[in-house]
Amino acid sequence: MEDELYLENIDEFVTDQNRIVTYKWLSYTLGVHVNQAKQMLYDYVERKRKENSGAQLHVTYLVAGNLIQNGHTCHKVAVVREDKLEAIKSKLTTVTSIHVYSIQKALLKDSGPLYNTDYDIIKTNLHNCSKFSAIRCADAVPRTPAEVAQARTLARAASQTLSDTSTVSTPPLNGHGPTAAKQSSQPPKGIMGMFAAKAASKAQDTNKEPKAKEAPSVSAASSKPSAKANIMNNFFGKAAMSKLKVNSVPEQPKEEKEAVKTSVPATEPESSPNTMVEKPGRKTEPAKIQQKDKKSKMKRMDKSDNEEEREPENQKKKRKRIKQLESDSSDEEGVPASPTLQEEKAPSPPPLVPALKAELEPASAEASTGGKKRKRKRVLKSKMFVDEEEGCMVTEKVYESESCTDSEDDFAKTKPPAAPKQPALPVKKEPKEERKNQKKGAATASRANKQVSIMGFFQKK
Amino acid sequence: MQARAPTVTMATAPPRPPRLPWRRAALTPLPPRGYATSAPRVRAIPCQGLTGGAVWGFQMPGSKLRSIFGGFRCQGVIWRRVQVPGNLRGAFGPAAMFSEVTPPPGHTLLGPPSAEPPTFARAGSNFADRSQPFRLGERSFGRQYAHLYATRLLCMRPRLEQQARLRWGDGVLLRKLCQLQAGERCCVVGTLFKAMRLQPSILQEINEEHNLVPQPPLAKYVDPSDELVLEDELQRIKLTGSIEASRLVTGAVLAVYGHEQEDGKFLVEEHCFAHLPPQLPWQGPSADRFVLLASGLGLGSGSGESLLGTQLLVDAVTGQLGAEGQQSCAALISRVLLAGNLLSQSTQSRDSLHKAKYLTKKTQAASVEAVKMLDEILLQLCSSVPVDVMPGEFDPTNYTLPQQPLHRCMLPLSSVYPTLQLVTNPYQADVDGVRFLGTSGQNISDIFKYSSMDDYLEILEWTLLAGHISPTAPDTLGCYPFYNSDPFILTDCPHVYFCGNAPRFQSKLLTGEDGQRVLLVAVPAFSATQTACLVNLRDLSCQPISFSVFGAEDDSDMEVGQ
Repeated sequence: MEDELYLENIDEFVTDQNRIVTYKWLSYTLGVHVNQAKQMLYDYVERKRKENSGAQLHVTYLVAGNLIQNGHTCHKVAVVREDKLEAIKSKLTTVTSIHVYSIQKALLKDSGPLYNTDYDIIKTNLHNCSKFSAIRCADAVPRTPAEVAQARTLARAASQTLSDTSTVSTPPLNGHGPTAAKQSSQPPKGIMGMFAAKAASKAQDTNKEPKAKEAPSVSAASSKPSAKANIMNNFFGKAAMSKLKVNSVPEQPKEEKEAVKTSVPATEPESSPNTMVEKPGRKTEPAKIQQKDKKSKMKRMDKSDNEEEREPENQKKKRKRIKQLESDSSDEEGVPASPTLQEEKAPSPPPLVPALKAELEPASAEASTGGKKRKRKRVLKSKMFVDEEEGCMVTEKVYESESCTDSEDDFAKTKPPAAPKQPALPVKKEPKEERKNQKKGAATASRANKQVSIMGFFQKK
Repeated sequence: MQARAPTVTMATAPPRPPRLPWRRAALTPLPPRGYATSAPRVRAIPCQGLTGGAVWGFQMPGSKLRSIFGGFRCQGVIWRRVQVPGNLRGAFGPAAMFSEVTPPPGHTLLGPPSAEPPTFARAGSNFADRSQPFRLGERSFGRQYAHLYATRLLCMRPRLEQQARLRWGDGVLLRKLCQLQAGERCCVVGTLFKAMRLQPSILQEINEEHNLVPQPPLAKYVDPSDELVLEDELQRIKLTGSIEASRLVTGAVLAVYGHEQEDGKFLVEEHCFAHLPPQLPWQGPSADRFVLLASGLGLGSGSGESLLGTQLLVDAVTGQLGAEGQQSCAALISRVLLAGNLLSQSTQSRDSLHKAKYLTKKTQAASVEAVKMLDEILLQLCSSVPVDVMPGEFDPTNYTLPQQPLHRCMLPLSSVYPTLQLVTNPYQADVDGVRFLGTSGQNISDIFKYSSMDDYLEILEWTLLAGHISPTAPDTLGCYPFYNSDPFILTDCPHVYFCGNAPRFQSKLLTGEDGQRVLLVAVPAFSATQTACLVNLRDLSCQPISFSVFGAEDDSDMEVGQ
């Protein structure tokens, strides 16, 4: 009958599978209350021993009770083997609980296997580890990701006010502190929105807790755009996303990337363009690091980016900025339909530069020496370029591409329109980006990693 | 499952069995013909009473009855309605100890499964975090520590002067050092400085002239030649007389009564400390509420012996372990406080500093794995009880006191629960109206090193009397250079004052001069002693709870919880 089913289960676990069946393991496996599991184990032991006195079953018990020690009463909880049970019971003044802890076939030398059994089963049930426990706590409800994000913003605001009014009244010597805090608080919605979206998707991955009904729907709804947003973030970093978002507003989405971009605005509904631009200012560096890690993907995305941004030139300007900084120099973008547009887009795949500054600095150097570069197409030039930029490393590819292009005049034209469109960026970045524009414009025309040199050679003729 | 008559109440209970002589019968299970018996019957369960005699308990059968009585929520419910041998009735009076609350209510877990095991609700608690003084926002280390000492003296001077007047009369002369006149008996308030020969000094270590080998770390740095110097805002003076240099430590603010001698030293006749500050009014709970204090979990140590003990602790608190009586009492634990050293010292390996890069390139810090383990343990705890986690000496947070809370990014699984509170190292909170104040033990162990006091509880009491949590703080214990305040000064007397990572469990109820009642608890390191503390908030009593498992070597003697 159904009631006896558990006996067969335990029998199977202990005898056939040769497991160590602890009460907790049984409780999770059969989905019963822990006390029931303890009773089931005891029942099984009794019956088995009655049926077959030679049954090879070793049982460990849990004994808890009081003990007078050093003048005070100590509460003692012990896991003991069956043969020590009576000894322990006699030592304790009062026995408050006895129950079966585990059943196994083999005699246990020490308690390590008991711990391992419980550890494994808990690991697989981390999200509902108190489900079969005898105590329920009303407060222990996991927060939804939205609440988590709220709590974080509150904590951040609280810590700021706290730091202002704390006894540590002297302002920190590293001026970083308050300004960073303020900046971070300013676009909390923007950043936090992204974080929240990311946290939502990540929380789902890492936390095995069963989400509340709202949470899955919310997270499912946001997970797709946020997943895409995450991919995009990984490719371009938050700076890129912000810029993409700004750019995507007037654009008509053509590809799924743009769909992703629109989803990014969804996740960052309230970020102001200024803050978004500011953020790229600050986030380009980490973004670039990310970009280096995902060069190939960035190339693909750059392709699509380029294609999207062919028509509207305004967005292209901003796009360029992003692409210069983030995408790799890729020659796979295809033959540009309009050379000017392509040239503008060419800058977007950033050169394969290991250092962040290197990306900017070569660009700046290139921009500064843009005029000269156009005329000179020697590799030697690039080496000089490196020295100017204080040891930043630039790949051959970059230089080759630069030297190959003849159309850098176009970038001179695009520079001025690009400049006013990047007002909020730090000045340092703007010239660099423009230079990158030029560089990339030059690069696009001859964008094949190794073939660039060859084509450049021919073109320069 | 057969249906039972739902109207089994006390009034219609079947007649109780006659009073049998007290004998200890074996706990036998019900007949194995299914656990739903046809007729309700009372089973007499013998159990040992507190005084060692046998007490009869009576099991009222059927889950329905339990539901009528609302489950085993309160220890008194079933028992008071059950006839108990008269002369032991007093034994079930107001329960102070956790163990006294857990007489087995009859239903045994050594039997076939019953229908509906009860579930207990965790006792709620009012909680207010009072550790804002210990939370640092933006930190600047560009200051000297002189400000901290100056503000300490400034804040504690009024209290000391008041104590001086209490002790030595209202007319006692309170002088500053610059106003001293030879031979005049007066009282001076100042900060102590102990000049110790053995105190490790970085200047001596790097002094090439002397070619000194760096001093190996000692257990105690006291030496008979230590001298005491009293400093106030402007001057300092050596102290002699009836003041014991070995017991005192640098940084304590005290008032000395005596006179200046001709040789320029101050002859001390008496001295006094700030003593206990006034205590907050008592707003503790009227029912039993427990707070579990544990420290020194020591995860990541590589040795698996304490892991099962830790698991047992977690299971006991979350209500999985034990019989129903024990689980119902575990439900009264309204809070768990982990006082530091969650990670073991062995996770602090500095391989990356000493070993070659190519050996350590791919290795992960030991603390990474340990923190993952900690996260899982905290997840189990947080899903059942509010937990406060204080960092300790070996935990991944800053070194100087006050240690800031562990960052929640390290605990992704458990920080989703609002029941997890990551708090600072000196920690202060109001739990159910009871003021808790305590540290993870660095302050006490530092005083242990630099004074002759050996007992952690004694040192704990001394810091309370000295009115300062860690007087050695900037001198030998890392401390943040505070500017305008010293948050370690005790302004309110707490109700429970604890320190973590003590070598063994100790507790004492201290009574102050103004009627303050403070429970001093030295929480032992769990990794070494497998012992935690349960504090009953109702009457400020404390009981250790220890866990033991069988090991390979143990045959004859069980380890009986240190």
